[in-house]
Amino acid sequence: MSLRRFLQRKKKDADLAEEIASHLAHEQEANIARGLSPEQARRQARLNFGNPESIRDRVWRYRSMPWIEDVWRDLRFALRSLAKVPGFTAIAVLVIAVGIAANTAVFSVINTVLLRPLTYPEPQSLVQLMNTGPQGTFSVANVPKFNIWNQQSSIFQYVAGYDQGGAGLNLTGGNDPEQVQGVHVTVDYFRLFGAPILAGRTFSSAEDSPHGGRVVVLSYALWKRRFGGDSNIVGTNIRLDGQSYMVVGVVGRNFVTESPCDLWLPFQFDLTSQDMAHYFVAAARLQPGVTPRRADAQLKLATDQFRRTYPGALGPQGGFSVTPLQEVMVGDVRTSLLVLLGAVSFVLLIACANVANLLLIRATARKRELATRSALGAGRGHIIRQLLTESLVISFAGGFLGCILGMVGVRLLLAVSSGSIPRVGEDGSAVTLDLNVLLFTFAVSVLTGILCGLIPAIGASRNNLAAALNESSSRSGVGFRSGKIRSVLVISEMALALVLVVGATLLIRTFMKLQAVDPGFDTHNVVTMAMSISGERFQNTSGVAQVIHDGVERINTVPGVTITAAACCLPLQGGFGLPFDIVGRPKGESPSTGGGGYFPVSSSYFEAFNVPILRGRNFTEHDNGSAAGVVIVNEAMAKQYWPNGDPLNDRLIIGANMGPVFVEPPRQIIGVIGNMRDGGLNRDPAPTMYIPMAQMPDKVTALNSRIAPLWWIVRTRVEPHTVIRSLSVALREASGGLPVAHIRTMDEIVVVTTSRERFNMLLLTIFGSSALLMAAIGIYGLMAYSVQQRTQELGVRMALGAQASNIRNMVIRQGMVLALVGVVLGIGGSLGLTRFLASFLFGVQALDPLAFIATPVLLTAVAFLAVWIPALRATRVSPMTALRFE
Amino acid sequence: MRATVVRKTIPRKETSGAGDILQGTLDMLILRTLILGPAHGHTIAQVIEHTSENALEIEEGSLYPALHRLEDRGLLASEWGFSENNRKAKFYQITARGRRHLTGQTSRWRRMTRAISLILGESAG
Repeated sequence: MSLRRFLQRKKKDADLAEEIASHLAHEQEANIARGLSPEQARRQARLNFGNPESIRDRVWRYRSMPWIEDVWRDLRFALRSLAKVPGFTAIAVLVIAVGIAANTAVFSVINTVLLRPLTYPEPQSLVQLMNTGPQGTFSVANVPKFNIWNQQSSIFQYVAGYDQGGAGLNLTGGNDPEQVQGVHVTVDYFRLFGAPILAGRTFSSAEDSPHGGRVVVLSYALWKRRFGGDSNIVGTNIRLDGQSYMVVGVVGRNFVTESPCDLWLPFQFDLTSQDMAHYFVAAARLQPGVTPRRADAQLKLATDQFRRTYPGALGPQGGFSVTPLQEVMVGDVRTSLLVLLGAVSFVLLIACANVANLLLIRATARKRELATRSALGAGRGHIIRQLLTESLVISFAGGFLGCILGMVGVRLLLAVSSGSIPRVGEDGSAVTLDLNVLLFTFAVSVLTGILCGLIPAIGASRNNLAAALNESSSRSGVGFRSGKIRSVLVISEMALALVLVVGATLLIRTFMKLQAVDPGFDTHNVVTMAMSISGERFQNTSGVAQVIHDGVERINTVPGVTITAAACCLPLQGGFGLPFDIVGRPKGESPSTGGGGYFPVSSSYFEAFNVPILRGRNFTEHDNGSAAGVVIVNEAMAKQYWPNGDPLNDRLIIGANMGPVFVEPPRQIIGVIGNMRDGGLNRDPAPTMYIPMAQMPDKVTALNSRIAPLWWIVRTRVEPHTVIRSLSVALREASGGLPVAHIRTMDEIVVVTTSRERFNMLLLTIFGSSALLMAAIGIYGLMAYSVQQRTQELGVRMALGAQASNIRNMVIRQGMVLALVGVVLGIGGSLGLTRFLASFLFGVQALDPLAFIATPVLLTAVAFLAVWIPALRATRVSPMTALRFE
Repeated sequence: MRATVVRKTIPRKETSGAGDILQGTLDMLILRTLILGPAHGHTIAQVIEHTSENALEIEEGSLYPALHRLEDRGLLASEWGFSENNRKAKFYQITARGRRHLTGQTSRWRRMTRAISLILGESAG
């Protein structure tokens, strides 16, 4: 009803105008009939009627929807008045745009990583099965544990084990052999994750048992890319690692796994296995209505059962639990991203403060305009609303621009992060502009507009009307109140900037410390490459030893190569771990003497990495399968387990209590080598055992070949990239056609392992420096403006004999008081906030004295510079011009 | 020196509590007038002025907002036509709803005036 009235009001108004005209004409005629002159008749009619305009206005108003009109009017007015000051508008919009862009960029990553659910159906009921213990919670599994979990049908609908495709498979047939990511899964995997089946079927239980045959399920992407989407693929054979596998199914396009996967193979566990080594992970889908907490309670009982069945397999504090799969995927990135969001919101706050300052200046300059408006009847609410509309127009323009900039920025951000953030897809393709991001940007824009517009608007509306109208516009200095607000804004800008710069300093220091860490080996001129050895001939140690022998021999003939080695794993990347017993040493209650890293390596491994032999001897070619078992330990292990004794006198039983796979005779410790950082630069070297690859038990070799590739390590005397081509050709020849992948130099690996730290440092440095810049601009703007406003006062002072230095010092003092108050508050804030950074720091305390001394000094220096310029300008005031400055 | 802050208050609503009664009365008078047959604004104004013996001094103009409101509420219908002296004029006509509304209002009004005269006693009569 009222909307129809609203829309028709133009036509109705014209109607009314005509009606009124008609009424007046009638009345005039009646008056003439009463004997008045035409002129008098007209006058009398009008008097009788009242003001037609106000009548029309009354009808118009009652037909209108006031707020729409008000908003529209305010909006037009805002656009008009902003268009009059394009410079101001451009700066304000740009400052906001940069602030919002940074926030949009960080938020869109958070949105993808933390907020967007997993792509599987009903992701909230997916959990990862975990081992809890004194060292933490680990998502690892073995067959006995898998069996126990699989029995808990009251809490789990499905349980599935899968590996993470570490080894890679060689897909041959056709023109190019290619390494593909194959994931081994147990039979319920596809049901658990709700995978749609495009063609064929998934594995049967029979296929997922030992000797179940060679079958494979293809991913949509591989099917399209490699097999051209052949609709008859099901039932045909493909060649993997030189063996023929039958394709039984193709998974639908929508099924996207968290880590990329080209095809799936059945695990084919021997479910009677007692093997305690962890080499896969397990997930489960909870029964409807079962919470993770309830599942945990049930798993406690399962833990007891497991302990009874396999005495000694679990430590006294060990147990099982579940963690929602999404949490596992996101891991420790959550804190990192939330801290970034906090930091970036500080940048936005500073941007707001700056724009608020600009608006305050503008409000002061518009004092007379506003006073005139209020004298003409605009209420305080009107003026506040008007000014808020202006700031909202600015913030929305900034938000729009910021959204575009932010989407560009997020590409940069992801380029810098280089794989240190999970779930962002290939090259961050999963990070897209979606409704969440748009809503976020919208909300931030509204908030920004209100935040930076409200204070100036309230201040301006509090105008002293009579005074404002009376005084000349140029003399109206910074009003006491608005001057105070602006000081508070500048102080908060300084404080916020200080917090950010302290954070940035801490992360820069962390990164520098990390760069300075001695990895324990020579990273230069070493190239590494992975070869998948999952094929049949690598199921026993002699096969692996043979390919290593052939490869080393062949590669050493490549010009520029000095030493070649092979190993199960690379330093800095983490590796396997196994418990061990020291022969003849009592181990008390615990199932083994201790645990340590377990690195099967070829005999030239230490030479290739230039690792010093501290005691004893290095491995030689003769430490092979037919020789007595030997092991070399690192310095950390020697220090921890032989603090006073000599490790070279002892023998180790590695893999004690780990099941039949690991059974082997004791190994003599033959040497101690310097510590290599195997778990990453920020991890202290852990006790580690190195054994010759040629001496591994066959079953362990089979297990390794299945879950990890063979890494080749080649030291060159030339720039390593120049020989990569010939190296891969040589390796393919020597290995009978196996391709290599993941070719990287060790220096590149160092860069990758510190990428998280570099990412955090880089972002916080960008945030910190932009905050610093904006705070400097803020304090400069305030002082410059106040000098300009006080030109007259300064002129009088100079006329009365004040020296230029007095004037300069006065301005500097006033500016620096603000800066210092901000710095002090900022130090207080940093003391409270840097503890959130604690987990990102390495080699630096959260309350690092250097950061807490250097940063305030830096900020004070920058503030001094920003104050110095207006102070200098103040001394150039000529008393004569100043007094005429009216 | 502090000068007083000048606040301009602008009347946001043109009808106060007392006006509401007047408004209702004016509505009733218009409807009552139109019971006799369709009429244009000028005639309605004349009729109200004469029949009330000029007791209700209203600006003639204020009739129009009332007319438009009544029309919007569906109590009146309007139509352009020509007046007795051949001028274009908008004629208003009471609708069935308007009649019902008038009956209701009139009886309410009677009850109220009766109650008031009872309270004020015979002197008011």
